[in-house]
Amino acid sequence: MILSDLDRCVSGDGSEVYRRVFADEAVFALEREHIFGKSWLYLCHDSQLKKPGDFITTYMADTPIIVARGDDGKIHASVNSCSHRGLPVCRSDSGNAKRFVCPYHSWSYTVTGDLASIPQERHTCNGRDRAHLGLKPVPRLAEYRGLVFGSFNQGIESLDDYLGDMRFYLDSYFNRFPAGVEVLGEPHKWRLRANWKLPVENQLGDVAHGPYLHATLLGDSPAVPEIDNFGHNCVPKAGHGAAVRLMPANAAPQDIAWGLEGMAALSGDPEFLSYLLEVQAQAAEKIGPIGARIKGLTYGVYPNLSFLWSNSTLRVSHPRGAKEVEYWSWWVVPADAPDSVKTLLRSNFTHMFGPGGLLEQEDSESWMQQLKGSDISYMDDRPLYYGLGQGEECGHPDLPGLIGSSYNEHYAREFYKRWREDIASGMREGG
Amino acid sequence: MDLNRDLHFEVEQFYYREARLLDDREYQQWLALLSEDICYVMPSRYVAQRDHALRGTEAYLSPEREMQTETASDLPLREENYFVLAVRVDRAFKPTAWGDNPPARTRRHVSNVELLGCEGDELKVVSNFMLNYSRHGQDNFLYSGQRRDCLRREGGSFKVASREIILDWNVITAPTVALFF
Ligand code: FES
Ligand SMILES: [Fe+2]
Repeated sequence: MILSDLDRCVSGDGSEVYRRVFADEAVFALEREHIFGKSWLYLCHDSQLKKPGDFITTYMADTPIIVARGDDGKIHASVNSCSHRGLPVCRSDSGNAKRFVCPYHSWSYTVTGDLASIPQERHTCNGRDRAHLGLKPVPRLAEYRGLVFGSFNQGIESLDDYLGDMRFYLDSYFNRFPAGVEVLGEPHKWRLRANWKLPVENQLGDVAHGPYLHATLLGDSPAVPEIDNFGHNCVPKAGHGAAVRLMPANAAPQDIAWGLEGMAALSGDPEFLSYLLEVQAQAAEKIGPIGARIKGLTYGVYPNLSFLWSNSTLRVSHPRGAKEVEYWSWWVVPADAPDSVKTLLRSNFTHMFGPGGLLEQEDSESWMQQLKGSDISYMDDRPLYYGLGQGEECGHPDLPGLIGSSYNEHYAREFYKRWREDIASGMREGG
Repeated sequence: MDLNRDLHFEVEQFYYREARLLDDREYQQWLALLSEDICYVMPSRYVAQRDHALRGTEAYLSPEREMQTETASDLPLREENYFVLAVRVDRAFKPTAWGDNPPARTRRHVSNVELLGCEGDELKVVSNFMLNYSRHGQDNFLYSGQRRDCLRREGGSFKVASREIILDWNVITAPTVALFF
């Protein structure tokens, strides 16, 4: 692709996106280099790595990664590929280990990626500097409120700057609870014939599809008028997004508090209500009066982390080329909640979302069908329209960033403008 | 109940009828085969680290070690009661059930039916299934797995009192596991 084609990919104001952006392998090659290669990418939550030796495996785009807590107590990340012939050296999703032993010739590595031994060495006499034979490290790691990110880009700005005012929205959940949050169990993982950006934009602020695509369940849900009355699509910084309800200052605490949507509310469990009130009573002290009035729906952190507050799940959209995505979805809960509350939140997650979810089965279908519409050459002159609410977004007295109604698509316009700019500047630097 | 050929035949016929109702999209009749206290769970199967202390024993390779079930700190794919299954049935007959509009063609094959034991009026049964799932166009998928059931004798037939569905996947490679297994 040449640089001038990029203007065709995303119009100046972000309201039109060329369909091939979702289906062209050449576009994905640019994304891998200039977006996934340059951004902060979510790796895991620090509660998944409690003790030295604890590890998980994941991906940064399609690069296999081991994330582990070392004996130094710090989190390290390295590429899961042996320095000898390239095999993956870690062969499980998570666990605790002293060493990873490569199956092929038994080279071994510490969990943090240092080369520990080469069994053939005692029979040979050439020796290369071992420091270069460890697993290749992810050069930058940083953490925000327990969310661990890595970047291939040595010179990237600090995670704090990268998140900018998204931190205010993240805090509103991730700093809300007396003992913080934790991720429990292993994530759901499923593959869809869809482009990775579809799940991302869906969670970035696409509230508008809710009552329609999900009419079977949300058609007459009380959440819908609440969203109409109090909902905002917030863009604290281009590429990030937070769809929230800012509940009125005089709302009852149980109407404000987090994650009561759906089944959990229906259950009427008294333990649930009392924990919820307990959390709400101390929330303003931790996250300020405005943060405490926020009742989140969905969040997105550029480029591919999503957080579905209303259903207790963190998710990453791992691209597998342009036309396939491996979607991972973790269960996240307040760490000090009683087990009964955690399991209620879990059913509120799995009933609705994940590969078996009542709601998400319609989303997955839409994302797959979208791909069919992105690969029609006769439609090259008909970009997709992202202009709803254009120009209506503006500042807000209480909420940081540009704020629009729940039906304003500015979250996507800003995402695709940043997407275009990242690829353009990457291509310029690359000569 | 005696674990004899007659009972085995009866259980098989029950499963064939259940499969036919589901393939014919007669989900309301299918729902009537479930007991109202049903516990319906689909564990996810992750790649667990091997426990080398168990090497040389069958426990070393046991599939149970890969399961994320409904215990406090695990995340199964599904864990449902009668109410949630009834909501799913209700959804299926609405025009806005977009994931099933148009509805998929399905074909369920139930085999390897094995009666493991009985206690009072409850019967433990395991069986295998293959499920062919074909949506519009070329979206065809094949599911393979095991069902671990507790069937409760009720009148002349059975009700499914609990069901655990063990899918043979790590990463799910079909668009949904929201169908009825
Ligand atoms: S490939 Fe890893 S030790 Fe040879
Ligand atoms: Fe949705």
